[in-house]
Amino acid sequence: MDSSFKSTTLISIFLLFFCNAIPSIAFGSSSTATTMHTNNWAVLVCTSRFWFNYRHMANTLSLYRTVKRLGIPDERIILMLADDMACNARNKYPAQVFNNENHRLNLYGDNVEVDYRGYEVTVENFLRVLTGRHETAVPRSKRLLSDEGSHILLYMTGHGGDEFLKFQDSEELQSHDLADAVKQMKEKRRFKELLIMVDTCQASTLFSQLQSPGVLAIGSSMKGENSYSHHLDSDVGVSVVDRFTFYTLAFFERLNMYDNASLSSLFNSYNSNLLMSTAYYRTDLYGRLLEEVPVTNFFGSVMETIHTDSPYRAFSVKYSKSKAEISLDQSDEVEQRRLKISDVPQELIDSNITDKHATCPVTRIWNAILGRIEMMKELDSLVNYGLILMFLIVTGSSWFSS
Amino acid sequence: MAEDKPKPRPIIRIGLFLISHSLLVSVVCCTAGVLSLLLLPVLGKNTYISENALMPGSARPMLSNDDVSEGERFMNQILRFDTMNTGMEIPEMITAHIMDLGGEVSHHKFLPQFNKFHPLHFFLGPDAGTIPENYSCSSYGINTVGIIRAPRGDGKEAIVLVTPYNSLKITRAEALSLGIAYALFSLLAQVTWLSKDIVWLAADSRHGEYTAVASWLRDYHTASFGDLKHSEICAASNLSKMETMHNSFRHAGTMAAALVIKVTNRSTEFEKDALTIYAEASNGQMPNLDLINIVNYLAVHAQGYRVKVEKIWSLLNVWWLKSLGQLIEMLGKLAGSLNPQWNFGIPVSEYVECTATLASSLYNQALGVPTGPHGAFRDYQVDAITMEISPKFSSSLNNRQYEILLHVGRLVEGVVRSVNNLLEKFHQSFFLYLLTSPSRFVSVGVYMIAFALLVAPLPLVAASLFSDATKSNPDAEEDKSASKPASTLQPAPTFTSWKWLYAAKQVLVVHLWSAIVTLLPYFVDQIPDSSPTTKLSIWIVLSIITLLFLDSFSGSSFPSTIRSRDTEWILLKSVTVAATFIGLCLMSVINFATAEIGALFLVPMCLTAVPLRLDNKVNTLRALIRGACNVIFIFVGFPVTVFFVLKGALEGFDNMRFGDFWNWAESLWAWNSATYIYMCMVHLPCWVLCIQTLLHRF
Repeated sequence: MDSSFKSTTLISIFLLFFCNAIPSIAFGSSSTATTMHTNNWAVLVCTSRFWFNYRHMANTLSLYRTVKRLGIPDERIILMLADDMACNARNKYPAQVFNNENHRLNLYGDNVEVDYRGYEVTVENFLRVLTGRHETAVPRSKRLLSDEGSHILLYMTGHGGDEFLKFQDSEELQSHDLADAVKQMKEKRRFKELLIMVDTCQASTLFSQLQSPGVLAIGSSMKGENSYSHHLDSDVGVSVVDRFTFYTLAFFERLNMYDNASLSSLFNSYNSNLLMSTAYYRTDLYGRLLEEVPVTNFFGSVMETIHTDSPYRAFSVKYSKSKAEISLDQSDEVEQRRLKISDVPQELIDSNITDKHATCPVTRIWNAILGRIEMMKELDSLVNYGLILMFLIVTGSSWFSS
Repeated sequence: MAEDKPKPRPIIRIGLFLISHSLLVSVVCCTAGVLSLLLLPVLGKNTYISENALMPGSARPMLSNDDVSEGERFMNQILRFDTMNTGMEIPEMITAHIMDLGGEVSHHKFLPQFNKFHPLHFFLGPDAGTIPENYSCSSYGINTVGIIRAPRGDGKEAIVLVTPYNSLKITRAEALSLGIAYALFSLLAQVTWLSKDIVWLAADSRHGEYTAVASWLRDYHTASFGDLKHSEICAASNLSKMETMHNSFRHAGTMAAALVIKVTNRSTEFEKDALTIYAEASNGQMPNLDLINIVNYLAVHAQGYRVKVEKIWSLLNVWWLKSLGQLIEMLGKLAGSLNPQWNFGIPVSEYVECTATLASSLYNQALGVPTGPHGAFRDYQVDAITMEISPKFSSSLNNRQYEILLHVGRLVEGVVRSVNNLLEKFHQSFFLYLLTSPSRFVSVGVYMIAFALLVAPLPLVAASLFSDATKSNPDAEEDKSASKPASTLQPAPTFTSWKWLYAAKQVLVVHLWSAIVTLLPYFVDQIPDSSPTTKLSIWIVLSIITLLFLDSFSGSSFPSTIRSRDTEWILLKSVTVAATFIGLCLMSVINFATAEIGALFLVPMCLTAVPLRLDNKVNTLRALIRGACNVIFIFVGFPVTVFFVLKGALEGFDNMRFGDFWNWAESLWAWNSATYIYMCMVHLPCWVLCIQTLLHRF
């Protein structure tokens, strides 16, 4: 009788604690920030058509190849190509696209899956892809089926200007259109983090209206600057790659899926003398430190995988041993990753609250609370709350026992 | 309160102010107009390639030594036909070669067009000319047309290469141009990057280059079968079986651009091989500037050619141009020292060269006669130019044909590849421009200023003269009403205010006469076996007779009841000036260069025109100078004297005959030049009306 009474009080006390603690944590910060990075998507857009814009298609295809090589599967890449240079009658090498005059690498091989091509690449379709407002007939392969755990890479290239990007030489995507779409995505929990990479003239102006947290943006040039092509292939007779993309690719060519290069090392690799423009990046909306974010978080599909003993009993999982499926020689990376794993338990705690009758061991919850407390910023107030609670418990229990 | 008139709006006040100071305004404007014309070489901008798609020079030339040797062999083979019997040898040989390359080939037969004056065919564009009754089968010209289909293209567009040659007597230079085209053709038959079909027209120039190209183009576009019905008769007689096979007319797509390739044996005075670009088509139409730009760019930067456009050589040694150039150079240096941003000054030699080129450009456009076979393409809105290659100083074609084949072949290949990249018609760059050098141009926005300044005084002077005339009227009116009894039926005031209608009638009669003068050559031309001199004399005599007849028929210009001789000439001049203004403005829309040159003659002439008797009466120095100026302007303003003065200035007065003017006018109407219409229907009536003003009797 007594013991059961004690246990009920304990539960009620814990509930009381949660009523105090949860609102300040779960609703204080946005919910997606607390979810785990579970998948990667890439939206690669070439917005310009016409033969003389060959390089834009080559840019996009090169990046497509890179992100595929680094592990994003085809079904998670939305590739939009506004024109088909490979089959253009002016192409000296039919059905082939090169991004270098040495012609060593055909970007348009067998394994290219273009989701939107030609006149399908419009501002409307682009915004539909981002916001997920498709007509019912649109197949899944053409949809960005991301969720709140997704890291999305959005790469765009074409001809741009002050706060706009031309699509198909007929319409333009303006900076507030982009910002609005990103905001909608945020509201609809379509991404956890978003990296927008743009290679156009005056690319930085395209980011000026962005407001949504979790967005990182990098552009090839500042306002008033042009982005230039890297070199001309005098055999094909056109410029084949833009400078910004060329040096981005050069950076990635040195990497493989397991490398741990950070975003800041990518961003610092741009030399404005070589680019003939100033690469611009906007980080004020992005929470994490660039030094700690591996590029493969966006350009690859490398994330922590949680080892579970029994996959179908999600709540009986031990959290102390979570492992990233990474080769063993990368131990330091594992350590680094583990820092972020502290995000993980909260999701499950939330579900515990809704289901009080679940058979969850109190110790585990206590561990989780401890983990949560570690995260807290206002530790002092929590300690104060805790002390008051402790005082109440002590007085209460002593009064009951006496 | 009643006197408190509302103030007129500012624009009206400005207008009134200008009209009241019309003399000053017209002097300032005319001077500024002439000066700005002389300043055009300074205001010229460097050309630039404005269409992104063109990308000239971005591809490496693919014309190999094998192709060139092939072309040279082809050329030597042609030269081996030293005797031409039927004129069929070369077409047959070209046919066989094109078939070997896998191209399509067809023959196009045509008869010479006899250009006749068709008064109603102006501005109607190219038409099926008359075919003479007594043709013979051997008088046919035979164009050979080879077509390469773009392997992956849509077949909707084509690029045309034209090589004119005389099938009766082929020269080495013509054979070389055929060799160039053949070398290119053999290359283009293999490449994979064609998006437009390539048409090679080996034009038989036995009846003239222009005729051959024009007749092929006519048949190409009208989808008629041209002279086929005649050729069918001939087919049985002398054409081989293979010939009849190729008689069907073959089409490619819409023409994106056309290049006429010519080689001359005349060597230039330069150390480099030279390329002369001819661009003017009929009525001063020009091909898109981008076409000239890519040819110029590739010739200069890729092949090391010296590019020229025509210039008037005699202007190079004119002393006043040189001193003007020095003045401009000095001013430019002064401005540059004040502010380094102002660098408008150009060296004297460059200024003089630019002026000579500009004058030639203006003259060729004003004449309205195409400067080569490319003119035929412009009638179908196809951009085309003629490229004439001349070997460098003290060298001939004989020992350098391989080199020329290689360079010109690569140049044309580059142009073809560049045009092949084009997605639409040429439209980005200018169509209205004057060239001051192959790489400098004056656009329409700049050269309009000179014309606008020249013609601006005309409406002002017309208005001010009219207000003068109406102001001086009331006095005369009062005199008359005093002298006449009040019972006069006619409402005199309203009648006098419409007095300008009499002047207008007179102007109208003169314009009617000018229309008749325009048509007269059609009848004069019917007179058989007469020399140009007699034809011209007949034309002039008939014109004078018609003028006298019309003058007497239309009766006295002003009714005697309201005769006020002193205002009469003012009104006449006012209406003349207004009519000239309208005529010049209309002409500037049709052919700007003609209007510009015409304005230089007409504006001073009709602005200064004052009755000589008036000047005599006043007898001051100013009046004397004015009278002298009037006489000089009138003398210079007569089209025949203009022609002879200009011709003498440009070519020397040595072998000039009276009949030359007839020949010149005949060439104008044969080419459907609007300049002829302008000369007869704007310039001539203005000149006659000015004479009437000068000889006005009081």
